[in-house]
Amino acid sequence: MNLSDKEILELNELCNALVDGRLSSGQQLRLSRWLASSEEARQFYVRHVDLSASLCAYAGEMQSEAPQADAARSKVIHYLWFWLAPLAAAACVALVLWLKHQSGDRARIEPKPEEHVARLTGSSKCQWASGAVPIRSGDGLSKGQILDLAQGFAELTFDSGAQIVLEGPASLQLDSAWTATLRHGRLKANVPAEAMGFRISNPAVEVVDLGTEFSMVADGSGSADVLVLKGMIEASPRDSAEQRTIVLHENQSRHFARSGMSKVSDPEQTFALLNGPVTLDHFAAASAWHHWSFDEPDGAQIKADSLGLPLPAYDARVEEASEAILPALRVQGRSQLAFRFNGHLFARADFSGLSSASPHTVACWLKIPEDVHLPNAYAMFAWAVSSKKLGSHPVHIGWNRNPAEGTLGVLRTDYGGGFALGATPLRDGRWHHIAIVFSPDPDPDSNVDVRQYVDGRFEGEGKPSPPGTEISAKFSNPQASGVSDVLFLGCRIGADGPRKDRFRGEIDELWVADGALGPREIVELMKFNKPPQTEVASAKK
Amino acid sequence: MEPPGNIETESRKQLVALLTQHQRRIFAYIYTLVHDRTDAEDILQETNLIICEKFHEFEPGTDFVAWACQIAYWRGRYARPKFARAKVIFHQELVDALAQTAAEMQHELDDRHVALSRCLEKLPHRDRELVLTRYEPGSGVPEAARRSGRSLEAAYKALGRIRKLLLDCVSHQLATGGVS
Repeated sequence: MNLSDKEILELNELCNALVDGRLSSGQQLRLSRWLASSEEARQFYVRHVDLSASLCAYAGEMQSEAPQADAARSKVIHYLWFWLAPLAAAACVALVLWLKHQSGDRARIEPKPEEHVARLTGSSKCQWASGAVPIRSGDGLSKGQILDLAQGFAELTFDSGAQIVLEGPASLQLDSAWTATLRHGRLKANVPAEAMGFRISNPAVEVVDLGTEFSMVADGSGSADVLVLKGMIEASPRDSAEQRTIVLHENQSRHFARSGMSKVSDPEQTFALLNGPVTLDHFAAASAWHHWSFDEPDGAQIKADSLGLPLPAYDARVEEASEAILPALRVQGRSQLAFRFNGHLFARADFSGLSSASPHTVACWLKIPEDVHLPNAYAMFAWAVSSKKLGSHPVHIGWNRNPAEGTLGVLRTDYGGGFALGATPLRDGRWHHIAIVFSPDPDPDSNVDVRQYVDGRFEGEGKPSPPGTEISAKFSNPQASGVSDVLFLGCRIGADGPRKDRFRGEIDELWVADGALGPREIVELMKFNKPPQTEVASAKK
Repeated sequence: MEPPGNIETESRKQLVALLTQHQRRIFAYIYTLVHDRTDAEDILQETNLIICEKFHEFEPGTDFVAWACQIAYWRGRYARPKFARAKVIFHQELVDALAQTAAEMQHELDDRHVALSRCLEKLPHRDRELVLTRYEPGSGVPEAARRSGRSLEAAYKALGRIRKLLLDCVSHQLATGGVS
């Protein structure tokens, strides 16, 4: 018997809900019974789910397509490259293990790299559930990680900038930098404008933030209270019978359950409880800061300040520019003066410790002309890093000149083993604030975690380089080539030092911190042009 | 008689070629059974490992995909308790029936995959962007909604509509001989 049009539509809807992870328990029962009893339904299901598998392949292909793919590559390698990019690691690891096994080595399975999506930034009398791995302030939290808080308060800052205070006992799953699932317990979310669209769900409701502060209390049996403290949210009941999305404004609340929506019992008391103060011990992401204001009216020297620990100030010096043109390179900046890189010169600053594989954050204001050409994409900042896994290799921060890998002109960071791409085209003649956070894993065999922020908004995290292109250059002797512990401004670096690729654009208020700043600290730095920790002692030269 | 070293090298080459050529089919088979991308990728990794370990048992000239899918099936079955907390999990008898159906449809599914690329080209740009963003590695519906400027609910609805369009387009392509 053929499926009727009506049945096909219903089956299609069920399959859509399944692949999107929105199948209700009632729908699951309906789908299971249908599939169990009808071969035609199973065939439709297989075609539908296989469509998603194929779309995974094509989307992965689009994302990882390389611009300079050698046309002469064999079809097999081509196929491996384009479709397997996200999956190839598995096959390669398997193959390496097999080859090792064949040669008599005892191999171990390489763990999948953990993708951090948030960080524990504050806590108070925090106790994690028995059996759970204790989490300390500053620890990165991985995608998919479930936090079981037995008691106390834990503040989590997502890479998007959204911040959650979880009150134990509670259980929260971190789905991404933009989404989390409250399994049970109480949380309070504070979502700045940069993280608008942040979403928290549970079996009863999905809340999309519209710029706000809200609370969710989930009882673990499938129902939840949602209360808006500031701004507004969009709440969508998850129950199939009532999928009407509602908007809740400040001081409004709603109870969501499988049976439908209702009023929160005793909202006044709950609001009062939520508005009560909680004192948290906060994690300081960085202890030392270096700052170049570019405010000197002329000269080849770019003076540096250092704040925090007693530190030298790493003044930079402009190279390959005549004395005569130096005054013309000081232009009106975002704050007082800025420095104009003209596509020919560069600057360098000795920077002790920069080449070690330790956490760093680089942030500055940036203005790139609209008419800038591809050769001027390299590089705003460059330095050499040494790691156990990759040896000595360059890090380059520039804008993307490769349209096949992402939008032309967006912020791009290339580092050993990976690269990150932003979303905002920077070549518009306007000032943009950029920040790039480098967090090497304590395991020296792991890759560095890189996150980018543009105008305070999370834009692009590092991903592995395509096979065979992991590192654009390697330094066999970085000390001899003069690139070790040196920060280069406005040029790309190679094995012999600065290369002829030079950046064109203006840079102002450059900060380099010795830690991995969180999104809140980056926004504060952007807004106030000073380190978020006001108590740090100044060691201005 | 060939030296053992040459035989081993040939065997490795053959393994790489087969794994590479059929990775999508194996992944699609697993995805049909677990319908969660992350779970499917985990099982695929484990399946790849076993394929490498057991490749000496594979008889050249026989159906590699069928052999690999058998491994994937048992790997998925072995890993089933790991996914017990997943939101949707079918009972084993149903999974077995779906596995049987998927295995019988392998050739049709290959044709559908090829036809899909043509259908994607026919989609309006905005729809194509939405659906490809949805399926990018590490992405999902919220990210696709955010990038396309749609509300989450609107993105879910649009994706449902686009999938149906693509299913119909692919079936039409196959029916009219768009793919041999």
